[in-house]
Amino acid sequence: MSATLNTTPARRLPVPPRPRTVKSLVTTAVVLAVIVGLHVVAVRATQFSLPELVTGWHGIWAFLFGDQKTAGALPPDLSWKIVRPALGACVVTFSMGLLGTTLSIPFALFLALLGSRTTSKNVVVYQLARALMSFLRSVPSLVWGLIYVTAVGLGAFPGVLAIITHNTGVMGKLWSETMEETDKGPVEALHSAGASSAQTATHAVLPSVVPQFTSLFLYRIDVNVRDALTLGVVGAGGIGFYLTQAIQEFQFNVMMTYVLLVMVMVIGLDLLSAWLRGRIAR
Amino acid sequence: MSSLTASPALSVRGLTKRYGDRVVLEGFDLDVHAGEVVSVLGANGSGKSTMLRCLSGLTKFDAGSVSVAGREVRSGERVPEFAMVFQKIHLVPQLSALENVCAGALGRLSFRQAWAPRAFPTDVREEAMGCLDRVGLAERAHDRAGRLSGGQQQRVAVARALCQRAGVLLADEPVSALDPAAAEQVMRLLRSLAGDGMAVAAVLHQPDLARRHSDRVVGLTGGRITLDIAPSALTDADVDALYAPDYAAEGGLA
Repeated sequence: MSATLNTTPARRLPVPPRPRTVKSLVTTAVVLAVIVGLHVVAVRATQFSLPELVTGWHGIWAFLFGDQKTAGALPPDLSWKIVRPALGACVVTFSMGLLGTTLSIPFALFLALLGSRTTSKNVVVYQLARALMSFLRSVPSLVWGLIYVTAVGLGAFPGVLAIITHNTGVMGKLWSETMEETDKGPVEALHSAGASSAQTATHAVLPSVVPQFTSLFLYRIDVNVRDALTLGVVGAGGIGFYLTQAIQEFQFNVMMTYVLLVMVMVIGLDLLSAWLRGRIAR
Repeated sequence: MSSLTASPALSVRGLTKRYGDRVVLEGFDLDVHAGEVVSVLGANGSGKSTMLRCLSGLTKFDAGSVSVAGREVRSGERVPEFAMVFQKIHLVPQLSALENVCAGALGRLSFRQAWAPRAFPTDVREEAMGCLDRVGLAERAHDRAGRLSGGQQQRVAVARALCQRAGVLLADEPVSALDPAAAEQVMRLLRSLAGDGMAVAAVLHQPDLARRHSDRVVGLTGGRITLDIAPSALTDADVDALYAPDYAAEGGLA
């Protein structure tokens, strides 16, 4: 017996107009006006001007290709006597990022446990831990770097300290939020079995967030190596310091070499970190 | 083991729980003896889960008394003799089956004795192996809990309750997330634990499983017990009255 399939389309009906109220139109107009207004203010505040970019073309030309006084950025100076120390400086920058992230683990973990509702029952402790993390996080590592350079002198060491300080706040916050989002079921199960809060933290909460913690840690290494670069600008060593020097001495071809090396390092690290995080997620 | 005439393992009298004006449990009475499986049936919102949570100390109750083996339990007190098994199982998926079972012993260990899942003392690990063997999963001891099937995970959760050395097992819809074969296996396991002398109270949504695996069926409607009969006496009309009182007058769900 041959089957006949019913494929008749449904009856067509006119689509009623979407309800539009005067209020929604006014809201849209006000939101648009505010956004445009903010941008007008921003353009004025920054003296943003395209004509200036055009009239200043010879400056850009000199920067790129050089003039009587300076060597231009292009072509970059890839001679070994420039590249070799720069590679060493890249290693320093990478090490600052790595050490800064790794050494902040205990502090971040401590604050995250105290500042997460899943593991912290005392409201005062919870709020204090959150406040401390906010403070460490809201001061940029560059500012921490300036403070530490003033305190302990130039070099990569104050840079590591700056990253530890800032990253404790950031990673602590990310970790504490991960713990708050984790499934409360196992915590309740162990609680009903008579486990203490500390025991539920180490036996239920932490084991279930290890993958997310590792993933966030790898992401932070990635970010902190880039932070280490900018820290070099304020005297905390590494390739960032070399970059600043090259610019101050108008050696734009050398500066370009450094920029290329930084690009290779950052992109390579980004790919490696993303690959590792992808593996953890699986 | 103790017979049905001995003092009950779990005794509940006049248990009452309110959330604001809403009365969830009103004068709930229940006795479960060692060696007995009691099924609790009732529609969603009838107060079944709240009842179990009140018994296990996860939720405080407002009035009534709960006693375990003759000893009175305070509201909100966590009693080592009561072990919970949940519908959503609640194992830590990243840990091994054995580590999950060991966690059942945390109530009697100090933080220093077992500060991490890998740091349980040998005697606890060996006892946990025995518990896993009791539920038929000894050879899966080092498998991650998240890798096990739903039925296996629920059996690991039962083993965790055994490692707690609980005398009373409170199971909140233990098989609602499982396929029929796994559900059957878990119910048989609960039945056989009762055979070893455990008292089992299981909230169920499956009248058929209640009929086949329990010694008594208790029905809850609006926070009150409206049924307390032998499983063989449970009729389709009883089930309709519990789950679809609005339809019962029209001749039931079927």
